[in-house]
Amino acid sequence: MNIEAPPLWSNGPKPGLFYDFPGRSVGQSLVNDHAKTHTMYPTTTGTSVIGIVFDGGVMIAADKLGSYGSLARFRNVERIFKATDEAVLAFGGDIADYQFIREVIEQKVRDDECGGYSKQLDAGALHSWLTRVLYNRRSRFNPLWLDCVVAGFRAGKPFLGFVDKIGTAYEATEVASGFGQYFAIPMLRSAREKKSDGIFTQAEARKVIEEAMKVLYYRDCRGFHRYMVATVTKEGVTIDDDLDLKKDTNWDLAHLTKLL
Amino acid sequence: KITYFQSILSYNGGCVVAMKGKNCVAIASDLRFGVQLQTIATDFERVFEVGPNLYIGLPGLVTDTQTVAQKLQYRTKMYEMREGRQVRPQTLMAMVQNLLYERRFGPYFVEPVIAGIDPSTNEPFICAFDLIGCASTPGDFCVAGTCEENLFGMCETLWREDLEPEDLFEVISQSLVNAFDRDASSGWGAVVHIIEPHQVTTRRLKCRQD
Amino acid sequence: MSAEMLAMSEYGRDPRKHHFSPYADNGGTTIAIAGDDFVMVGSDTRLTNYSGILSRNQTKVFPLTEKTMIASTGCWADVLSLYKDLQAKLTLYSQEHHDEMSTPAIAQLVSTVLYWRRFFPYYVSNMVIGLDEDGSGVVYHYDPVGHMEKLRFSSAGASVAQIQPLLDNQLGALNMKDAVPPKVTKALAHQLMHDAFISAAERDVKTGDSCIIYTVTKDGVAEEQVKLRRD
Repeated sequence: MNIEAPPLWSNGPKPGLFYDFPGRSVGQSLVNDHAKTHTMYPTTTGTSVIGIVFDGGVMIAADKLGSYGSLARFRNVERIFKATDEAVLAFGGDIADYQFIREVIEQKVRDDECGGYSKQLDAGALHSWLTRVLYNRRSRFNPLWLDCVVAGFRAGKPFLGFVDKIGTAYEATEVASGFGQYFAIPMLRSAREKKSDGIFTQAEARKVIEEAMKVLYYRDCRGFHRYMVATVTKEGVTIDDDLDLKKDTNWDLAHLTKLL
Repeated sequence: KITYFQSILSYNGGCVVAMKGKNCVAIASDLRFGVQLQTIATDFERVFEVGPNLYIGLPGLVTDTQTVAQKLQYRTKMYEMREGRQVRPQTLMAMVQNLLYERRFGPYFVEPVIAGIDPSTNEPFICAFDLIGCASTPGDFCVAGTCEENLFGMCETLWREDLEPEDLFEVISQSLVNAFDRDASSGWGAVVHIIEPHQVTTRRLKCRQD
Repeated sequence: MSAEMLAMSEYGRDPRKHHFSPYADNGGTTIAIAGDDFVMVGSDTRLTNYSGILSRNQTKVFPLTEKTMIASTGCWADVLSLYKDLQAKLTLYSQEHHDEMSTPAIAQLVSTVLYWRRFFPYYVSNMVIGLDEDGSGVVYHYDPVGHMEKLRFSSAGASVAQIQPLLDNQLGALNMKDAVPPKVTKALAHQLMHDAFISAAERDVKTGDSCIIYTVTKDGVAEEQVKLRRD
């Protein structure tokens, strides 16, 4: 039996057993204690992905760094891929999980092609499918540690959707994961609000994506200067995979921050 | 063992609400004194008179409600003897801030609410604090206690500008009673003080007892 | 996972430590009010994750049949999965019986579906609203594991604490001397719902952007969107 009362104020008062303030016990561990555990944390990770809808298409971007904790381990990882002519996907989170799901999706697309009995997978269908896969995995406590951005067309209209590792899914005119939530989303939204009709041209979209990637490179420690941009229009998918922000960034101010 | 304990602030239950009106203010509270889910007393006043037109409500841990009330009584009386005048609402606010912040790292678990009328200008005054003395002086109403969210919802919808004393009584009463009826830790009767420059009307409300 | 960890904000955690939680709180608020020959249901359109706004235009009310809808808030991933599951079951039913499932039957189905996940619950607050067999409005309110209650009005989700006492007072006529509950007209229901959302958006960061109000009558579902504060 516990007869000792914990200290009165430092971690909640407990004057004897009568005035017992439960739920405040000292030194409670924050480690989860499931009997069976799967991989509950990512290993090699990719940081933010961002995407916006513009007039007649969708544009997404992600940098090319694969981080191993704080180590910039892999410097040329592709985190965007084309699934079909009207769907591209970008992934943040665990790179291994991304490569796994990429294989699965590519095989799905091949099956569809060979079977020839279904119309080509569009972004809406892939988004919906990913929702189920990720939700299933989280329900089995064996998640795919991913933030997915699905861009392309659904029923002929531009589509931009997001799914995270527990199956949270939504569509929006601008999406971002990770640090992009804090840095890129406000940039993309305010740029859109400056337009009277709220519609970007492709060139404007490209410019604001570039600006957002630059800010992420400056401010996100897991960010990188090499990045990819994928654009989906009626004409199909174009992926620019050798973009570099290094020449556009200026670190002259960096030494001043040390004075603080 | 499963317990439903959340925080020391909600150990005894209780709530207070204050509202501004036209040349008047109101402060009201419930009357329950409980220990977690057990009700101990249903006549526990947590709103205290500080001066002729000045009241303070102290919802939170009851032992601290009483301690803070007594400490404030001591300080306000010392002030009155020293200065030879009544404590103004603004002064009481500063006093409470000092009292609470003195215990910054081992706080009194109360979230005080002040309602009063300035004796020199007849201006209505309300303010509310967190448990370490951060004060806010809104222009409409202040709420605190276990059903604070419920009170926010009620007050935000029912409150209007320039309420006359009788209307203010109705608004604050309906806000309080309907708010705490959806909270297990508050209720069991209510008391309402309507403060006007020349008089204070105190009423007890009949309400459901469960 | 400990309750402490759940309560902790994302940015409050040690940045190097990742942690898996199958649940998220994505906010959202719903209100439902039944009348004699209609039922009105509304939701805000903000979808959040911690302090981030994922979407400003996401309804939380979904159609099930011509005269039944479901309003769900909580863990968005669970909301989507529950809705998909219900849709599948209703499709099977309608194809088997050549008829739509009635509102009371759907209400019972939802309870059962929720209880199936008793030990790994859908983290969702649900309301089923619709017209019953007599054509009058009904609201069914659920807890996450399938407890069901039939009501005339209710609210659920992030701002339930702010809104429910107001409905008790204005529609239930509680704590008013000699007052009888008012006759619920479309105008009254709409006005009250609008006021409630405005008040909730004022005080709750998880409610805002706009509200969508659906009115279900025997003639079908009417939809209206009203702006709320976006900060």
